[in-house]
This record gives sequence, C-alpha cells and structure tokens, in this order.
Amino acid sequence: MPAMRRSAFLSCVALAAISLSLCAQELTLPLKPDSVRFAAIGDMGNGNKVQFEVAGQMVAYRSKFPFEFVLMLGDDLIGGKEPIDYQNKFELPYKPLLDAGVKFYAVLGNHDISNERFYKLFNMNGQEYYTYKKSNVRFFALDSNYMTPQQLAWLEKELQNSGSDWKICYFHHPLYSSGATHGSATELRLLLEPLFVKYGVQVVFAGHEHVYERVKPQKGTYYFTEGASGELRKGNLRKTDLTAAGYDQDRSFMLVEIAGDELYFQTISRTGVTVDSGVIRRAAKIAGAASWPTVRPGLDGLPGRTVAKASGLGLPRAPTPTE
Amino acid sequence: MRRQIRVTRLLLWLPLLAFVAPGFASQAQTPRDSEEARDLKTFADRVQAYVKMQKNLEASLPPLKPTKDAAQIAEYQHALARKIADARRDARQGDIFTHEVTERFRKIIRKAFQGPEGRLARRTIQQDTPFKVIALRVNDVCPENIPLTTTPPTLLLKLPELPPELAYRFVGRDLTLKDIKAGLIVDLIPKAIP
Repeated sequence: MPAMRRSAFLSCVALAAISLSLCAQELTLPLKPDSVRFAAIGDMGNGNKVQFEVAGQMVAYRSKFPFEFVLMLGDDLIGGKEPIDYQNKFELPYKPLLDAGVKFYAVLGNHDISNERFYKLFNMNGQEYYTYKKSNVRFFALDSNYMTPQQLAWLEKELQNSGSDWKICYFHHPLYSSGATHGSATELRLLLEPLFVKYGVQVVFAGHEHVYERVKPQKGTYYFTEGASGELRKGNLRKTDLTAAGYDQDRSFMLVEIAGDELYFQTISRTGVTVDSGVIRRAAKIAGAASWPTVRPGLDGLPGRTVAKASGLGLPRAPTPTE
Repeated sequence: MRRQIRVTRLLLWLPLLAFVAPGFASQAQTPRDSEEARDLKTFADRVQAYVKMQKNLEASLPPLKPTKDAAQIAEYQHALARKIADARRDARQGDIFTHEVTERFRKIIRKAFQGPEGRLARRTIQQDTPFKVIALRVNDVCPENIPLTTTPPTLLLKLPELPPELAYRFVGRDLTLKDIKAGLIVDLIPKAIP
C-alpha cells in the first residue's frame, strides 16, 4: 500500500511537471522526415522526485518530438538492486514512455551490477557491450567499467565492419570532462580514442559526472556528458579549455535528431528550459578515410549557469582536429 | 704495442661473442620463463576447473534469459551463489591465486602502477572509490550498494585473460576474482595495489 501511495504521488509530480512545462517548451530540432530521433539520459536511477520530474519533461517533449528510443548512459540503478528498485528507479519514472513503446538501451555504470544486462527493458540482451543500428546510424554501447582486450577487439571489428554513415559510441565514463569530481577518464582514452579516430566515430555520449557538458571536438569526435538526469552536483563544472557548453544548475536530458548528414541536439533542464542546442554536420566521406563532422551551434544565451557559451551562433565552423 | 695487440684480440672475439651471447642469455632466461609459464598455467587450470564446476551448477538451474521480471534475475543470482558457496564450502583464499600466482600478479600489478601509464591506472582506481577498507572473504557476495571501481584497462591488457564468467575487480586495495553472474568472490589477493 505505501508503495502504491508513493507511486501515485510521484505520478502526480510527473504530471504536474508536464503541465507546468508545456508553456516552457521550445523545440529547436527540425523534425525532418525519416530522421532518427532519440533521447539520452545518464546517472538517473535514484528513484527521487527529481528523476520523475525529468521523466515528466521527457514525456512532455515527446508530444512535440516523438523520439523512439533512449540511450541510458549508466548508473541506471543507483543504490539498491532489489526488484522494487527496478520498479522505483526505472519502471515508474519512465512508465508513460515505456507504455508508448519507447525502447531504452542501457550501458552499465559504476553503480550498476552486471546482471542488469538480463533485464529485458534495458535491451542489453544479456551482453555487457553490444551494438545496434537505426537507419543510417550505428550505436556501440560499451562497458567502460571493465574494458577488456576482448571488448576492445570486438569494438574494433564492429567499427571496421560498420558501413553506417554515423557511428555513435556511448558508455559511462567520459573520456573528456571538465567535471570537478572525476574529470576525464584519461587511461580509458588511451585505448578508445585511437579507435574512434581510426574508424571515424563522430559522436560519443557518456555520464558519470553529474553535470551536462558539451566538449569541443577532440581529434574530430564530439563528446557529450549527460550525467545529470537524476543526480546533480550543482556548480561542479569547471570552465576548462575543453568546454564548449555546459550546465550544472539543475538536472537535464538530451534530445537528438539525425537526418542525413546532420545531427541536431537539444539539452533540456528539469524545468523544461533549453540549456544547449546545435547541429553537427557529418562531412562527406572520402573513400578509406574517416569522416569528420563540423559543428554549428544553435541557441545561445542560456538560462542558469552556462559555463561556456556556444560561439559562432548559427555559423558553420571549420573542423578542427584538436580544438 | 702490447695494448694494441690486446685490443685487436678483443675485437676478433667480438663477433663470436655477439653470436654466442644471445644463446647464453636465452638459456639464462629459460628457467625463469618456464617458472612463470608454469605459474600462469596453474592459474589457468584452476580458473578452468572453477568455470567447469560453475557451469555444471548453473545447468541445474532454469536458464537465465533476458526478462522483464527483475525478481527472476535476483532469484537466479542468489540461487547460483548459494549453490557455488555450498559446492566450495571448503574453499580458501589462495586456492586459485596460489602463493606463486599471487606473487606473479603482485609483480604485474606493481609494474602496471609505475611510470606515467601507471599514474593513469592509479587515477582510474582512485577516481571512484578512494581505498575503502572492506573485509572480504572467499564466497562472500560482492557488496552491490557501493560503486564499482573501474579495473584499469591498461592493467587488463597485462593480466592473464579470463573466461567471460569471471572478472578481475578491485575492492579497496584488494584484487578479487569475481563470479559475474553469482556476484561471488571466488578468490582474492589482499592489498594487491601497492
């Protein structure tokens, strides 16, 4: 009974969040026909009111931007791993999305346990690392807690064989981060970055740091950290040379649309305010060479504490391998 | 003049030395290499024996397939852990990480934590959990509520490869050999991180 009361209360919270946010919503994504549409959330699985509020925003935005799936960037279940935790930290917050047929594709964070891979709604199919394709986009979901030589060899083979236009990797630990708590996973970067460069991975999503950050392109790859979809370390983002844009004042989630050679992104706060947005353009592929993207930032003048504003508003920027 | 002759003689011997020395060197390394190979084989054999036993026990349970029922996953894990702990009730620390194997591992780990690359590995370890002291024993279920420590990927390149049923996991400074599905500590090396 208390569990039911809690669930009813939290559902009301989510509904209130939806109705309050309807007026705050502003969609910057182009909604192009046949585009690949998804959301990204990280470090969300705490079961707190704020997780429900972020989930409520996702539901509200989905009415305008019908995304089909969600990347879960790890720390999917923080703390307890009992069956009730799967309910309180996943099934209940995202119930409207699950009911609407939205699929969640998880990776494991440092707060997760390996057996979560058998939880069907995480779509890991019993694998700690896996790949899937949506239209012209190939996703590589990695286990950054335990990067074995076998996993690296698997990744290399899959990247090599992927004929997809877009190659997107996601895992928990960010290779580049200006977060004050953990910072960049530099050791992991030693092993992964050469593969990303060699095979032209355009975009990487990670979590772990409980903030949002968009990093300036590194060797042709764009890095996003979205680790604040449930947890938050307010004011934890240091401004570094890496930071292209960031937000550390509230929880957030990302919406992404890929249409042809363009990837549009929009990052939205718990209260429904857009805190970052832009477009990454995939350069035409030259035979045998990796394809480098270029970025064209979108909105500027963000609310809250924007650590680094996106520069060159609306203007295409030349690709810079190590900006 | 005499000195010149001595130098000339030495120079004449040099090609012969160059030809013979590697042979001696490799002969000198052979016992050490074979000891290492023997220790690592001991480890591989014991790991293999464990996995064989685990698979047999697992076969007595209904197979774990992806399920929407989280209770099923938890039940499976508990059941497998119980069976393994029961089958290995006499297991002791050092059964798999034997004394010799432990020394080999300590050497590998010590080396992996040295130099610039070692600093990165140490950073990886310290990033998540500053070394907390947790008393661990063989057949304990790994604590699930504390965050996992990332096993340094450059160290994983140096340690013997494990079958997918097992993983090297650090808890504090201790290196554990963990059964992934059962969540059990199969063996451990205390204070493995220098």
